[in-house]
Amino acid sequence: MAGAVGGLISLPAWANGWTTETVLTTRKILSVGQTELLAEMVETIIPATDTPGAKALNVHQFVQKMVADCYPKTAQENLNKGLDSLNDLAQKSFSKPFAQGDTAQRTALLTQLAQSPDQKEFYSLVKNLTIRGYMTSEYVMTNLTHYEFIPGRYHGCVPVPQKAASQGK
Amino acid sequence: MSYFNIDAQALNTYDAIVIGSGISGGWAAKELTGKGLRTLVLERGRDVRHVTDYPTTNKQPWEFEHRNQLKQEVREANPIISKCYAFYEGTEQFFVKDAEHPYVQEKPFDWIRGYQVGGKSLMWARQTQRWSDFDFEGPARDGFAVDWPIRYADIAPWYSHVERFAGITGNKDGLATLPDGEFLPPHEWNCVEKHFQQKVAAKYKDRHVIMGRAAHLTQPQPIHFQQGRAQCQHRTICERGCPFGGYFSSNSSTIPWAAKTGKMTLRPNSVVHSIIYDEAKGRATGVRVIDANTKQMQEFYARIIFLNAAALNSNLVLLNSTSHRFPNGLGNDSGVLGKYVAFHNYRAGISGEYDGDLDSTTDGRRPNSPYIPRFRNVLKQETNFLRGYASGFSAGRISRSDQNGIGADLKESLLNPKLGGWYVGSHMMGETIPKESNYLALDSSLKDPFGIPQLKISIAYDDNDDKMVKDYQEQLTEMFTEAGFKNIRVRDSHAAPGLDIHEMGGVRMGKDPKTSMLNKWNQLHAVKNVFVTDGASMTSTSTQNPSLTYMALTARAADYAVKAMKKGLV
Repeated sequence: MAGAVGGLISLPAWANGWTTETVLTTRKILSVGQTELLAEMVETIIPATDTPGAKALNVHQFVQKMVADCYPKTAQENLNKGLDSLNDLAQKSFSKPFAQGDTAQRTALLTQLAQSPDQKEFYSLVKNLTIRGYMTSEYVMTNLTHYEFIPGRYHGCVPVPQKAASQGK
Repeated sequence: MSYFNIDAQALNTYDAIVIGSGISGGWAAKELTGKGLRTLVLERGRDVRHVTDYPTTNKQPWEFEHRNQLKQEVREANPIISKCYAFYEGTEQFFVKDAEHPYVQEKPFDWIRGYQVGGKSLMWARQTQRWSDFDFEGPARDGFAVDWPIRYADIAPWYSHVERFAGITGNKDGLATLPDGEFLPPHEWNCVEKHFQQKVAAKYKDRHVIMGRAAHLTQPQPIHFQQGRAQCQHRTICERGCPFGGYFSSNSSTIPWAAKTGKMTLRPNSVVHSIIYDEAKGRATGVRVIDANTKQMQEFYARIIFLNAAALNSNLVLLNSTSHRFPNGLGNDSGVLGKYVAFHNYRAGISGEYDGDLDSTTDGRRPNSPYIPRFRNVLKQETNFLRGYASGFSAGRISRSDQNGIGADLKESLLNPKLGGWYVGSHMMGETIPKESNYLALDSSLKDPFGIPQLKISIAYDDNDDKMVKDYQEQLTEMFTEAGFKNIRVRDSHAAPGLDIHEMGGVRMGKDPKTSMLNKWNQLHAVKNVFVTDGASMTSTSTQNPSLTYMALTARAADYAVKAMKKGLV
C-alpha cells in the first residue's frame, strides 16, 4: 500500500480545490446535521488509515451533490430518511448517536443496514457513491492509483505486472 | 475604391457557397478555396475553433463535478440525445438538445446531431474504411436499390487524396471486400485479438479479422504538421475535441486549411432556409439564410452551391426549396427526394470471456479496435436476407476489486484491484436496404424555432434486418466458440433507428434522372450548379462506416465542379 504519502495533517490544495468549486454550487438537500452524519457514515465505509479517509476527501459532499443533481427525487428522499433514522438505529444498537460510536460499533451497524430490507437501498446508494467519489478523487487518482491522462501508447501484450492499477477515463 | 456599398447583392456574392461545415462541408471548403474560389461556408451552429473551444479537453476525471455523469434534469429534458454513447458531462456542449430543434417522429427515430462548426466530425467514432466494388455494385447485383452511377475505380484516387491529408491508420490487408488505402502505421493488437484472428483464419477462408482503419495520426507526415496537427496521444477522450489534432476533424484540419487560403468566409449561426432557384436562368442563384441570433432572413449568392448539411438536413433544405419549376423540392422531378433513406443496423452484440493468455495484459489505451469485414452474401446470395454486416471486435482485461466489505478492509481491496480474465466483445454493423417506405417529408403545420417546417421522419427496421441480427448472433457465436471463448452472451438492443448516426440517402445518386436525384458527379440532374456530397447522396449504405466516402465524393465533386465552372458548364 502507498504508505509514504505526505501531507496528511494539513490538507493540501487538492482537497480545497475540489470542495470550494463543487460545494458552493451544490444544491443543499441535507441539513448541516445530516451532512455531518453523512460524513461520519462515508468515513466508516472508507476510513482514514495511513492515507486519508472518505471524510477528509470530502466524499460526503460528493455524495450529496450526486444525489441532488443526478438522481431522481426518490433517491433524495431515501437519503434524507435514511440519515434521519441512522441516529435512532445507533441509539438502539449502542446507545449513542452514530458519530459517537467507535469504529467497531459503527461498522457493525452499517453491516446490519446492508442486510435490512428497509435500509438496504439507502445504504447501497451511499456506499456506491462513496466508493465512486473516493476512487475518482484527485488524491486517490494521483497518489494511489496513479491515473495517467496521456499514456501516448498502447502495447497489446505485456507481462502482467506485480500490482495492478486501475485506469479509467 | 468605392465608398458606397450600394450593391448589397454584389457584396453578398461569392464564387461558391458551402452549406454545412461538418465532415463533408469541411472538405468542400478546403477543395473549393484551394482551387481559388471565394467561398462562403454557412454553419447553422456556433463557431468552434480548434483547441480554444474544447472546454473539457484537458479536464481530469476528478474535475468533472459529476464525474461525467449527466444531471438528472439534463437526462429528463433530453430523452433522445441521452441515449447516445458519446453524450456525457464532458461533451454536452457539442450535442443538439432535444427541445432546441424539434422534429416529428412518425416512427421512432433517435436523431443525433451536432450543430456547430465542425458538426459531428468533432464527436465521431473515426472509423474510416473504403467501400469496395461489392458495395458499389451491390444494388445492381441483388436489385435492392438503383444502380450506383460510379464504381470503386471512379473514387479510388479520391480516397487516396483524402486519406493522405486526413491521416488514416491501418494495415494493408489485401482484401477485395475492403480495399487498402494510404495508411499510417496500424495500431497494435493484443494477444487475445491475435488469437481470435488466427482461429478465424484457420477455420474460414472468407472471414478475416483485421486491425481497424481509423482517422488517427499514428505517425504524422509533413502534410499533417503543416496543418498544425501532432501525433495521437492515446487519451481516448476524442469526443471532447483533441487539442493535438490527433484525429481528423473539420476543426483541426480542413476548415483552418481553407481559412489559410484567404478565400473562405465562415459564417456561423446561419440557418439555411432554402436554395434560391432562378427560373429565367434555369439555375440556382443563392441561398436564403436565417440568422440564428436575429432571426432575420438574408440572401447570399454564388455560381455553385455545395449542400453538406448532413443527410437528413440536406433533404430538409431541398424539400423546403420550392419554386414554380420545382413545387416538390429543388431538383425533384423524379419524386424520389426524401425517399429510400437507409442506415446501419447496430442492434446486435455479443460478449464472452477467455481464460487463456492470463500471463499477458495490455498497457496504455487504443482509440481503435479490430474489425471483421463483411463475409455474408459477398460472392453469392447464401442466406435468407439481402446484403450483410461488418463487425467490430475487441478484447481486454479489467481490474476489479471486491467491494463487499466495509472499513479498512474495503479500502485495502479497492486500492488493490485484481486483474480479471480477458473479456471479448463485438457489435454488428449491418447494411439496411433503402426502401421507398423509409422516407422524409416536411410537416404541413409544425415549424421549428426559425419558422422552417419540421422534418418528419418515417424510418423503421424490417424483416431483413431481424434476419440479419439473428445470423450475426449465430455466426459470431460460432466464431467465438471456435476461439475457445466462454460465457458467450448475445444481445439485441431493439433500439430505434438513428442511434447508429449513419443515416443516408434521400437524395440518391443514379444514372437515371427518373429514379434518382444526383448524377455521377453528385450534381442535381435538374439543377447542374447544385452538388450534394454528404450522406444524403448515398444510393445504398454498404456495411462500412460512411464518412471517408463522403470526404472522397466531396473532393471529387469539387474538382469536377471547378473544372465545369471554368468551361462554363455550370
